[in-house]
Amino acid sequence: MTSSGNAPGGFSFDNVIRNSMLQQKGYAPPTARKTGTTIAGVVFSGGVVLGADTRATSGPTVFEKNCQKIHYIADSIMCCGAGTAADTDATTQLISSQLALHSLATRRAPRVATALNMLKQMLFRYQGHISAALVLGGVDFHGPHLYTVYPHGSTDRLPYVTMGSGSLAAMAVFESKYKEDMTADEAKQLVYEGISAGIFNDLGSGGNVDLCIITKEGKELIRGYAKENERKYRRPAGYIFPHGATPVIAGSEQFKGPEKGFSVVAEVAPAQDTMDVSA
Amino acid sequence: MFLTRSEYDRGVNTFSPEGRLFQVEYAIEAIKLGSTAVGIQTADGVVIAVEKRLSSPLLVPTSVEKIMQIDSHIGCAMSGLTADARTLIDHARVQTLHHRFVYDEPMTPRACTQALCDLALRFGEDGKDEDAMSRPFGVALLVAGVDHTGPNLYHTDPSGTYVKWKAKAIGAGSEGAQTALQESYSSNMSMQEAETLALRTLKQVMEEKLDGTNVEIAAIRKEKGEFRIYSQEELKECITRL
Amino acid sequence: MSVLRPNASVMGLPYTAPGNAPRGFTLGEHVDPEDPLEVGNSSNPHGKPRAIGPMGRRFQPYKNNGGTVVAVSGKDYSVIASDTRLGSGYSVPSRNVSRIIKLTDKCVLASSGMQSDIAVLHKVLRIRLTQYQYAHHQEMSLTAISQMLSTMLYYRRFQPYYTFNVLGGIDAEGHGWSYSYDAIGSHEKVRAVCSGTGQNLLQPILDNQVEFRQTAPEKKPEELSLEPCVELVKDAFTSAGERDIYTGDIVELAKVTAKGVEIEKFELRSD
Repeated sequence: MTSSGNAPGGFSFDNVIRNSMLQQKGYAPPTARKTGTTIAGVVFSGGVVLGADTRATSGPTVFEKNCQKIHYIADSIMCCGAGTAADTDATTQLISSQLALHSLATRRAPRVATALNMLKQMLFRYQGHISAALVLGGVDFHGPHLYTVYPHGSTDRLPYVTMGSGSLAAMAVFESKYKEDMTADEAKQLVYEGISAGIFNDLGSGGNVDLCIITKEGKELIRGYAKENERKYRRPAGYIFPHGATPVIAGSEQFKGPEKGFSVVAEVAPAQDTMDVSA
Repeated sequence: MFLTRSEYDRGVNTFSPEGRLFQVEYAIEAIKLGSTAVGIQTADGVVIAVEKRLSSPLLVPTSVEKIMQIDSHIGCAMSGLTADARTLIDHARVQTLHHRFVYDEPMTPRACTQALCDLALRFGEDGKDEDAMSRPFGVALLVAGVDHTGPNLYHTDPSGTYVKWKAKAIGAGSEGAQTALQESYSSNMSMQEAETLALRTLKQVMEEKLDGTNVEIAAIRKEKGEFRIYSQEELKECITRL
Repeated sequence: MSVLRPNASVMGLPYTAPGNAPRGFTLGEHVDPEDPLEVGNSSNPHGKPRAIGPMGRRFQPYKNNGGTVVAVSGKDYSVIASDTRLGSGYSVPSRNVSRIIKLTDKCVLASSGMQSDIAVLHKVLRIRLTQYQYAHHQEMSLTAISQMLSTMLYYRRFQPYYTFNVLGGIDAEGHGWSYSYDAIGSHEKVRAVCSGTGQNLLQPILDNQVEFRQTAPEKKPEELSLEPCVELVKDAFTSAGERDIYTGDIVELAKVTAKGVEIEKFELRSD
């Protein structure tokens, strides 16, 4: 962890006691943007294919329809993230830079197992409070590798993996169709089908299918490998608001003209057309 | 019919071998003892009028009520045991108010009459139904009201039957009165003509001389939609037209 | 004044369960504390779930199955629409469940909330409508239905049908009207209304595009006629489907005019 200014490094826990008091009094803590997600990966002969949906949600609301959940770790290592968006972003970035430094220090191309160890050690240190559920995949000196990392720091090494709220839908597809030693195209098709199952059957997942194919020759990130959820209808008439359509509330004229700056002389109660706030 | 009196005329729910319910028939007989009431429906509204039998000069005529309002747009005239009519009308008033509460609209006179008849049939002697009556009602009603189709006049009797009429008479003088109505009724008569015909018909069948105290008249007009019992002055004005 | 809505909170504060509240399983029902649709979480209209014992929780009879319903009415028409997605947590038990019921040739109801309560409410309404027809020899008017629905809902004041209804149709004068309801019968006669999980997304659009709120009087366009109104509702639903995870798959849209009820369907995204 890097330190900034006088801070000792790591997270600040300054407000923990205050926040627990507020929570006890009934104030809800702010909700984090969670990527109710489908992410998956498959090993094939000579490489790995990673896949992810592109929906980010906050409660029942879609926050982002086309976000990228396949994160860069190194040139031939990528990591799909599920859980709290901020956690997966920060964690993968952090590990990516640490791995780059490690690579420079050791003068060797980074290995997937190294990234895995750094991730699990960090997540374990935070005892599951960093909500990052990851699918780590890549190709290194030893060949293709595929891992899952759980928020508490446990990991698995498997030939085909899924994660996130849509993991059951995707795994159902993988369990029925996975074969050993698939070609790259077969693996791409399988991951696409798995992610697609998550997109359509899990409400936390949605949008497009992103794929990333990593071989020892290099990697290819395909944003929008499948776009099956484009908007289906638009009102032909559109929405036209003539100039001046929004009425000016009486008394707000004094705020016109930025050259004068903002100075409130007196609060004027609007004479009419007020909002009904009696409820 | 009284010659066929037998053990079958005791139970209110026992048919005689000829298929008759004597207690119901006797209840209908009770109406023939009641004071006469007439109702006339025109294109513009309905007029109902009743005779009041004032058995003693010491009796206060205004205390004899034989026309009652059920809802703002429905009223009725009665003949027979008027005490029984109170129970019926209380029921109808609850039903019309309930209808307004549930549906936010006035109940139709037809539905109101149906509700009255539902109650009229709730008699029996097993005592299982707490609210049931021990005998049939001894009263007939002329129900007048307006709905979206226009003015309506319905007649109900203790058997729970209801029929729509253009002009109908009930009570002691009903036979003569009905004949008179049949002769003089016309479908295009005005409300004023209907008022006159109603009172003239009553006058014909009443034993006492008709005056401002021994009859009651009420009407509901389509355009106003409000049932109203006439005041003394309005009644006198109608009588002078006879 | 407050109405009972799925997102209602007490004193304007979002609800949170106390940190030490026990979590566990109930008889027959798994309660997911993360599930935004689970009644008892932040969208709970009934306040806090009460804990009984260290592992138990009270039986929670209510669940929100999501969905959005809309009614928009004009001079001589009414448009009532609902999506057909049935949601439960992050799952989609069904993509084609009708939440719309044609009550008469002049009146259509759409309900969101808990699917089982919607089904029962619609069934009971059908019965009440038939009974009315037998008793009164006429079809129920829009106003009569609107009032009856309110009394039916209030009748269950303390164990409500978990439904959020919008009613649309044509009154005795031939004018279109919409009615909005809370779960216990509070209702209002309006031009355009929507309810359900997409309510917060759609209502401002309807307010602005149908009732021309926030529009200077001299800039107000002409009132919408039927077809432009249908286009607006379709667009609004498509937008709700883009951003609300519980709205999607198919929309059933009923057009009520003097000629009767015409129902059309169109697709939303299904992810």
